[in-house]
Amino acid sequence: MSKVLSEDLVSKLSLQVDSFQDGFKILAKSSSIEELGLNFNHILRGSLLITDVNLFHKRNKELEWITIFSKDNRYSKLLDDLTISSSYSISFPDEKPYKVICTIPLIDKSFFGIILGNKLDGAEYSDIEKIFLQIFLQILDNAYQAYINYKKEKQLIFALKHRVVQLNNLIGTGIEISNLHKIGYQLELALERAVSLTNSSKGALKTIKNGKVVSTIVLPMNYDLDEIFSAKYKIEAEVEFQGLTYSFCLANKETRKGIEDFDDTDYILLSAIAMQVTGALENEHLHKEALLKEKIKKELSVASTIQQKIIPAKLPEIPGYDISGINIPSAEVGGDYYDCMKLNDGRFALIIADVAGKGVPSALLVSTLNASLFSYLDLQIPLSEMAVKINSIIFNASPPDKFITFFIAVLNPENGELDIINAGHNPILLLKKDKSLKKIDAGGVAFGMFDMGLPFLGEQMVLEKGERLMLYTDGIPEAMNEKEEEYSDKKMEDFFCENYPDNASDFINDIVADVRKHTAGTPQSDDITALYLIRK
Amino acid sequence: MVTEFKLSSENKENCIIINTEGYINNIGGQKIVDEFNKYKNNGINNYVINLQESKIVNSIGISFLIELIEKLNETNGKLIFTNLDPTIEKTFTIMGLFQFAHKANNVEEALKLF
Repeated sequence: MSKVLSEDLVSKLSLQVDSFQDGFKILAKSSSIEELGLNFNHILRGSLLITDVNLFHKRNKELEWITIFSKDNRYSKLLDDLTISSSYSISFPDEKPYKVICTIPLIDKSFFGIILGNKLDGAEYSDIEKIFLQIFLQILDNAYQAYINYKKEKQLIFALKHRVVQLNNLIGTGIEISNLHKIGYQLELALERAVSLTNSSKGALKTIKNGKVVSTIVLPMNYDLDEIFSAKYKIEAEVEFQGLTYSFCLANKETRKGIEDFDDTDYILLSAIAMQVTGALENEHLHKEALLKEKIKKELSVASTIQQKIIPAKLPEIPGYDISGINIPSAEVGGDYYDCMKLNDGRFALIIADVAGKGVPSALLVSTLNASLFSYLDLQIPLSEMAVKINSIIFNASPPDKFITFFIAVLNPENGELDIINAGHNPILLLKKDKSLKKIDAGGVAFGMFDMGLPFLGEQMVLEKGERLMLYTDGIPEAMNEKEEEYSDKKMEDFFCENYPDNASDFINDIVADVRKHTAGTPQSDDITALYLIRK
Repeated sequence: MVTEFKLSSENKENCIIINTEGYINNIGGQKIVDEFNKYKNNGINNYVINLQESKIVNSIGISFLIELIEKLNETNGKLIFTNLDPTIEKTFTIMGLFQFAHKANNVEEALKLF
């Protein structure tokens, strides 16, 4: 290069430095390859008066050239002139329909192809312009590197944000699923989240019972279930709960370029969501159980209230007699019942009954017995006849495993006459004047066992002055201590024979205390019920 | 239940309302961008995307929406998303869509913001 040319080049280069720097800044800001091409065109036109700029891109050696920027279609027919090599090439042919042709191998193994036509003024490219042009081509290469780095940075930021979304939604999904109380909604939400968080194009969920599919959810809903489960790219997860298998399947992970196989993170996400479903189902199950228990508790409370209302708060006063009763219910609602009703003819009916079993059905049966007694007692029909009628009512009102043991003694207070029926109840204890014990157990079978018109044989007797009668349920003799030893009939009978305080209530309190002494704090398993009558 | 993606659009006083239905994924995102380009190429700069009938979106669908937002930014255009499902709204927030786009409760409210 001559000294003159060299000086000229240095001088022009000095003037162009700013232009090169600005050019790079503009190109590097490009957000797409198309924008890069457009900006490159602007720079060449502004700096070198080149208006016929054609920029092509080849993603790799095998793929075709793609036009990035060109105003003239005829250049797309000359793409074969672009040589592909691992090094930068440029030529300025004289006998071609263009003035410059250049190929730049790029950082991502793609290529830029550049074909330039005439300058705006039609002049030939000077040597300095050729040098400047090559500098601009180098700037284009650098700007492309910056563009690729910018793109990668954007993708990285996007991927990181997507991970945050995945984590956030995974946590949110667990909470949302737990808040839904319908299993169908829970499963649908779980599938929706699994599909979207893994970028699946579709998903399905099969619920299987005993090897048979009992329900399915497909998303989006128009897709075929089998097509999803047989997709080339898929991930599956299964969870089981209470005999049901929930089988999730996600198909075809999406990218901007098409579909691809799932990665480990996708499988972890799907499994986590499937586990959340199990957790939600378990919680739902426990929640329902708790609600059921609460409902039963409330029902028992109602039943207990009913029973307590049936049992008299205060017994009537019987002239010449002292009477006292007690009912101590166990934790569950029992079926014990006692009463003393004053009849129209001045007599008194002493009643004690025990329904087999506990709970609401027993309480209802006691209620039925109470209502029946109210209806029949004042009709003054013979007790044996009344017992047949009540037995029939109880039989029809009770389930097969329910029956009532029943004892009634109708007392004429004036002469102490007792008209008695014992329907399958424990023998009633009578303490005679001479302190001997008599057990009254004549009668018939318990109410509600049979409805065949079987007779109930009554018994008449007289309660003499000073004699005592004790009606009780099996909660007293069968009260158990920690070693499961019963208080026993013998102990109860001995207590009855050996303790005869002046007041009926004292006896009741004393025998309860004696039972408590035996059980020594062991929880009461059955109702304790007793009625005690003294003829003064 | 999530259905196959569909969309409709209408021009209200030079503001385009794009109503979507179904899963905004690769297919849905591409359809939104195609519909957007149809109007953008005619110089329209104001858009509402009504997502009332779209309850799920994946990150590929979001990448299309970002592309659309970037194109609008080049021409100082405005985009408002409406009727966002809470999960989608949270997702868009994390992905940074509301740094350049806006949101409104419904289309009527959105139109008042232009």
